[in-house]
Amino acid sequence: MASELNNPSQRLVENLASKLRRRQVVGSRQAALETVLVLRQVVSKARFSKFEQLVEIIRSAGRRLVEAQPKEHSVGNTVRKVLHHIREEYHTATKGRASASTRNAFSISKFVLQGQPRKQNVLTKTDEKGTIKENDPDDPDSFARGLKPVLMEAIQDVLDELETVYDNVSKNARDHIHSDEIILTIGKSKTVEAFLKSAAHHRNYTVIVAETGPSYSGHEMAQSLSSAGISTFLVPDSSIYALMSRVNKVILGAHAVLANGGMFAITGSLLAATAARAHSTPVVVCAGQFKLTPLWNLYHEYGALDFADPSNVLGFEEGGLVDKVDVINPYYDYVHPELVDAFITNDGDHPPSSIYRLIKETYDDEDHDL
Amino acid sequence: MSSPANPYPSSQVLAPNGEASGSKPQPTISKAEQSRQRRAVQEQQRAAKAAAKTAPNVPGPSRPRSGSKLPPAPSTPKKSGAGPSKTQKDSKDAGSLAGDEFTGKSRGLRIFSHFGLPKPVSHVGKGDIHPAIVRLGLQFSEFKISGANARCIATLIAFKTVIQDYITPPNNTLSRHLMTHLSPQITHLVSARPMSVTMGNAIRQLKLEISGSDIDLPEQDAKDVLCHKIDHYIRDRIIIADQVIQEIAGSKIKDGDVILTYARSSVVEKVLLRAFSDEKSFSVIVVDSRPMLEGKKLLSVLSSAGISCSYLLLPAIGSVITEVSTVFVGAHSLHSNGAVFSRAGTALVAMMAKQHSVPVVVCCETYKYSEGVQLDSFTKNELAPSSDLLSSYPLTRPRETLNLKGQPNLEILNPLYDLTPPTSITAVVTEVGVIPPSSISSIPFALGRQTL
Repeated sequence: MASELNNPSQRLVENLASKLRRRQVVGSRQAALETVLVLRQVVSKARFSKFEQLVEIIRSAGRRLVEAQPKEHSVGNTVRKVLHHIREEYHTATKGRASASTRNAFSISKFVLQGQPRKQNVLTKTDEKGTIKENDPDDPDSFARGLKPVLMEAIQDVLDELETVYDNVSKNARDHIHSDEIILTIGKSKTVEAFLKSAAHHRNYTVIVAETGPSYSGHEMAQSLSSAGISTFLVPDSSIYALMSRVNKVILGAHAVLANGGMFAITGSLLAATAARAHSTPVVVCAGQFKLTPLWNLYHEYGALDFADPSNVLGFEEGGLVDKVDVINPYYDYVHPELVDAFITNDGDHPPSSIYRLIKETYDDEDHDL
Repeated sequence: MSSPANPYPSSQVLAPNGEASGSKPQPTISKAEQSRQRRAVQEQQRAAKAAAKTAPNVPGPSRPRSGSKLPPAPSTPKKSGAGPSKTQKDSKDAGSLAGDEFTGKSRGLRIFSHFGLPKPVSHVGKGDIHPAIVRLGLQFSEFKISGANARCIATLIAFKTVIQDYITPPNNTLSRHLMTHLSPQITHLVSARPMSVTMGNAIRQLKLEISGSDIDLPEQDAKDVLCHKIDHYIRDRIIIADQVIQEIAGSKIKDGDVILTYARSSVVEKVLLRAFSDEKSFSVIVVDSRPMLEGKKLLSVLSSAGISCSYLLLPAIGSVITEVSTVFVGAHSLHSNGAVFSRAGTALVAMMAKQHSVPVVVCCETYKYSEGVQLDSFTKNELAPSSDLLSSYPLTRPRETLNLKGQPNLEILNPLYDLTPPTSITAVVTEVGVIPPSSISSIPFALGRQTL
């Protein structure tokens, strides 16, 4: 019955799924935003009489989207985050004061066992009855009617976080960049762009942008930064090592931050981070927390096994060459945690070793596999 | 340094054109008046140029001054307003075509300012420049001839022509005077592109031969002897050396190997072709990067020879480095501390290979050895011209989106070389054997030199 009634939202899900598959929606923030919007529709249209039903509806929509584009990790992250928020709201709504006191109690043991108390709560929740009744036989919709406003609020929170992510990442920019510093960045990351521009209000510094083939997105980045009044140098990728000895800090963007503190980032990040390590230059990654992904890199040791159009590397203008030659054009590099010094997120700065704790706090354990 | 002065000479040339197009919608003004205004504009530009020339060494103050000179131009009757603004833009284009981006005055300018600016080579050199040298200078500056070996061989061959065409003036001897005749030629070549270590070594050897040539020898014989010496140098130090290197390096390639190489080195190319003709079965990964994208040429040579090749850009190297058995790269010069100066990007490739315990083999003739110690790629480097000369943009993107010229605060920097530290090199293959980088300083002894 549920699937029948969910038809309009089902269409929305399918719509986004096909957009993701065709890479019409690219970029982790874009994908996350679209996902929240679809989930909001799904929740507002959903009909359920039990909380588990709602969770299952969201999960199935999430599963559909994740399967459409498994490399766009922020989709799954957003679904997990929405589920987490919704559960939290549900617990406060159903349990009232009794559970609130246990949930808000901060203790060392809770800190250590992050994620565990929540599971116990899920098990015990059926015993307690709050203001909202589940499975009311007289009025099956009353539960949904009562819960939906708080759920909408929870989803709105996720949306707000996504919308303010750049501002929040860059609010402490000036603490990270001192005057007359030379920063190296590669490609074009909107987070890094916002971060650098925000720092430029307070500090006078130089940015070296590596153009990052084959997308050459560094050109756009250089254009954008220089038009914001930052002294910018555009260099080819090959000169990263040559210039690294004069670089004070490497600032990179991320595509997804993994549970071990490593990350997937645009191709070339591994190169830049390794060169920085060779020169003992700190590597700072700017990323919103929606990029935190409860995954380990199981695909491939050095990449995400996601490949782009080879014609950007070796075009058809090369004629006969195209037939005989394998052209490799991966989207992402895997940068392991040892190469990263700090993550600057919209919620504070963290070393790679804290990412695991952050992920435990942000998502519920049972959602790791959607 | 030439940036403040440069735009104005070209704007003078362009001014009449800009004027002519600007005057069309205003037919009421007489021709005499037009020419008077044109003269006025030119006068102003000349004054601006003079002002810029008086202070060529301080770009900071000279810029505002030339800027303050410009505003009066639009104040002349309105039709000429279109003229100067257009010429200003044109002249900027002309300036950047010459490879001169250093119009900004940011702090970055200062730390990068010691990189030699690529400057347009003059077709007519100062003094008595041999036409062969003039031609060679153009080929160098346009990168028609690039690569340490090619440039050295081309220089030596051109010098042979110069020596043959040289006539010792009366009351002088060849051994004393020829060098004074050659030095302006060398200066001309250096003005086209900074001298490579190989050229320096070859020229030093040539000077030695010239000063040592027998005074009693008839002039033609002495010239012939010198030309023979040059031929022998090319044969012994480059061609035979390459053959020895091909043999030694080829022995390091085994069946089933995956060889990675970066950009295009003539020696590595020969090594791979030789190994393939020796019926070794291996595959090659060619890594490439802007600004030169030379790897494409290597790729076409190798793949047309039948070697199975993969091609990727430098940022993607992390994805393939684990599959590689050996990295072969060429060199521009070897330094006595074991560092290898080579095409920009080589250091990154070597670093990644070293990280994954892949041996890095540098193929390099001993005549590329340089006594000096170099510590990083920053102190001495060369900039590639950023113009389209190298035509290395992918055609899938419109070229305009990748051409960022004349933007305020934005400078484009294309270093041509970088320095691979000895720690990321496994061995250097030379014609005197396979040498670990720590022992590169022993090369002069291997060549038979007795003292330091």
